[in-house]
Amino acid sequence: MGNRHDSAAQAGRIALPDVPAATAPRKAPGALSRNAPGYLFLLPWFIGFFGLTLGPALISLYLSFTDYNLLQAPNMVGLDNYVRIFTADDKFISSMKVTLFYVVCSVPLKLAFALGVALLLNRGIKGLPVYRAIFYLPSLLGSSVAIAVLWRQLFDSDGVVNTLLGHFGIQGPSWISNPNYSLYTLIVLAVWQFGSPMIIFLAGLRQIPTDMYEAASLDGASKARKFFKITLPLLTPVIFFNAVVQTIDAFKAFTPAYVISSGTGGPIDSTLFYTLYLYQEGFGYFRMGYASALAWILVIIIALFTAFSFLSARYWVHYDD
Amino acid sequence: MTYRLDRRQVLAGSAAALAFGAFGIGRAAAATHMRFLWWGSKERADRTFKAIKAYQKSHSGITIEGESFGWDNYWTRLATQTAGGNSPDLIQMDYRYIFEYARRGVLLDFTPYMGKSLDIKDFGQQNIDSGKVDGKIYGVSLGVNSSAVMVNLTAWKEAGMEPPGDDANWDDFAELCAKFTKQTKRRDYYGTADESGLEPAFEGWLRQRGKALYKDDGSLAFDAADVAAWFDYWAKLRKMKACVPPEMQALDQLTVETGMISQNKASISFGHSNQFVAYQAINKDKLGMIPYPVPAKDGKPGQYLKPAMQMSVSASSKNKDAAVAFVNYLVEDPEGTKLLGVERGVPASEKVRKELAPSLDALGKEMADFIQKLTPKVGPLPPPPPNGAGENQFLLQTVSQQVAFGKMTSQEGGKSYVEKAAANIKRG
Repeated sequence: MGNRHDSAAQAGRIALPDVPAATAPRKAPGALSRNAPGYLFLLPWFIGFFGLTLGPALISLYLSFTDYNLLQAPNMVGLDNYVRIFTADDKFISSMKVTLFYVVCSVPLKLAFALGVALLLNRGIKGLPVYRAIFYLPSLLGSSVAIAVLWRQLFDSDGVVNTLLGHFGIQGPSWISNPNYSLYTLIVLAVWQFGSPMIIFLAGLRQIPTDMYEAASLDGASKARKFFKITLPLLTPVIFFNAVVQTIDAFKAFTPAYVISSGTGGPIDSTLFYTLYLYQEGFGYFRMGYASALAWILVIIIALFTAFSFLSARYWVHYDD
Repeated sequence: MTYRLDRRQVLAGSAAALAFGAFGIGRAAAATHMRFLWWGSKERADRTFKAIKAYQKSHSGITIEGESFGWDNYWTRLATQTAGGNSPDLIQMDYRYIFEYARRGVLLDFTPYMGKSLDIKDFGQQNIDSGKVDGKIYGVSLGVNSSAVMVNLTAWKEAGMEPPGDDANWDDFAELCAKFTKQTKRRDYYGTADESGLEPAFEGWLRQRGKALYKDDGSLAFDAADVAAWFDYWAKLRKMKACVPPEMQALDQLTVETGMISQNKASISFGHSNQFVAYQAINKDKLGMIPYPVPAKDGKPGQYLKPAMQMSVSASSKNKDAAVAFVNYLVEDPEGTKLLGVERGVPASEKVRKELAPSLDALGKEMADFIQKLTPKVGPLPPPPPNGAGENQFLLQTVSQQVAFGKMTSQEGGKSYVEKAAANIKRG
C-alpha cells in the first residue's frame, strides 16, 4: 500500500510538479471547514448522545462493579453484583420470565394486528389520512401515565370490561389485581398500541409493484394465494424491521407495569417486569450498583436477541435485488 | 453594512443595561429560595401550600417552592435529588428513613440551633429524642400519631349494628366483621379490608404477643410460626367473608385514596391516626376511629406513639438559617401550626396543642382525643429499623398475597417471609 501510494504520488509529481505537495496537507482542514456547518447542525444531537446517552451508559458500566447506594461514594466490589444476580437472585429469574413472556406474546400479536389493519387501510379507501391518524393515536398516548390509569379503570373488578361482560351474565374477575390475569391486561395494552408498525407496514405495502398482482390475477391466483406468494414475501424486510424494533421496545417496557402496579410489580410479582425490578433495586432500595449490573445484563440480552434476528434474517427475509 | 452607534443609542442602551442590572441586584438580595419536599394526600398539600403562602407574605424575600408526592414516589425522588447534589432544603422525614439519611451525612444537625431559632423545649424530652440519631438532632416532630382503625360509621348504622369498640379483641373483631358483611345491603361490600400484608398491623399484633419486628441489633424479633399464625388469622376472616377477597385487596396501593374504605369495598381500613383527616376528606360517609383490636387476655400494649413525620433540613442547603426558621414556624408559630392543623399528627408541643384546641374542627378534636385516650395504653417506641427494613414492608405484602391467592399455605408463607426478610437485612 505504502509503496503504491508513494509511486502514485511520484507519478503525480511528474505530471503536475507542485500540485500534490500543495494540496495534500491542506486537504484535511479543507474538508473539516467544508463540513463544519453540518457538524454544527448535528451539535445538539452530539451533546445529547455523549452527555445523556453514552456518558451515563459508561458510568453505569463502572457503577455495576461497585456498591453505589446513591448517597455515598461508590466502592469497588469486583464481580460481586454479577455473581449474585446469577447465583442467588430469584427475582432476577422471575422478572426475566415475566418479561420474556410479555415479549413473546405481545410482539407477534401486535405485528399481526398492525399488518391486518394496514391491509384494510391499503384498499384505497377515502379519508385514509384520518383513519391512519385515529389508529396511530394510541401509540402516541400509549406509554403515558394517563393511559395506564385508564387501563386500571377498564380492567378493575367493577370496570368497563366487567360491566360489559355482566350484560352477558358473566361475572369477570378483577383483571388487573388478579395475578393470573394481570400480565395479560398489559399485553392487551401493548397490542392496542399497534400504530407505528402499522404506518411502516402501510408504507411497505405501497412499495409492492401492482403489476405483480395484475399478473397473478391473469393467472387466476386467489386472494389468499396472492397474499402468501406476493404480499408476504415482499413485505419480509418490513416485517423484519418491525419485529426487531418492537422486540427491543417490549424488553424495555416500564411505564404501564409501573403505573398499574403502583411500582410494586404486584400482585405477587406477576407484573414485575425486568425494568421495574431494576428500578426498585436502584431507586427503591438504594442499590444503584446492583441495578446497574442488572441493566447491563438487559443490554446484553437485547443485543443477543437482535444478533439472532439478523442471523435468522438471511433464511426468511427477501430483499428485492 | 457597518453599524455605527450614535451617542443617544449608547445612552439609551446603558440606561437599559443599568436598569436590568439593578433588577438583577434586587433579585439577588431577595433570593432566599428554598425547596420543600413532602409526601401525602391532597388535603396535606392544600394545607402546606397555605402555610408557605402565609410565611412568604410575612417574610418578604423568601420564596419556598413546595413539591408534593405520594409515599411510594417520594423516597425515589428524594434519593435521586440527593444523589444528584440537588437535595431540597426542607425535607419531610420518616422514622423509618431518618437513620439511613442521617448516618450518610445528608441531614443538618439541629443541636446548635436549639433554644435559638429552633425553640422546641416545650416538645418534652421524649418528643425531642424521637428525632435523635447517635445523640444529634436531625428531625423535628411534625406531630404525634399512632396506628388506628378507620371505621365507616354510616355503613354500620345502615346495617343496624354497633361497630367494634375500643375493647374488642381480634376474635370479636372477626365475628363482628363477618356479621356485618352478611347484614349490609351494599353490594360487594365487606366488613374489613384484608390487612394481612400491612406491616404496622402485623407489628402491633406481634407486640401484643411480647414480640416485635426488630431487635436492638436489627435482627428479626419474630419467627416463622408468628407469621404463620398472623396469616392464619386473616385466612379465617377471608373464609368467613369478614374481609375482602384477595383480588379486591390487591387494588390497595398503600395510599389513603386506594384504601378499601376509600374505594367503597369495605367498612374498615387500617391506617394511622393522623390520616383520619385525609380519609374523611374523600369519604362521603361519616368515619370514626378506634385503636387496634386488643389481645384476648394478658396481652401487652401493641401500639406506640411515634412522630407521624419529621422535618429535616439538608446538610448541603445554602440557606440553613432560613430553613431552620421555617421549620420553627411550622411547629411553634401560632399561624403556621394553625394552618397545618393536626393533619400531620397531634402537635408535640403542649402549648401549641392548647392554642389549637379551640380552633379545631370536629375531626381534629376527634383525632386529638384519640391520641389522649390512647396515651396511657401505649408501649415504648421500638428500636430504629435496620437497613433493608423498607424492603421488608413490601415483602410482607407480596407474601401475604401469595397466601391469600392460595399459592402458599400460611406455614409456607411464614417460612418464606422469615427467610427472605432476614436475607434483606443481611444485605442491607
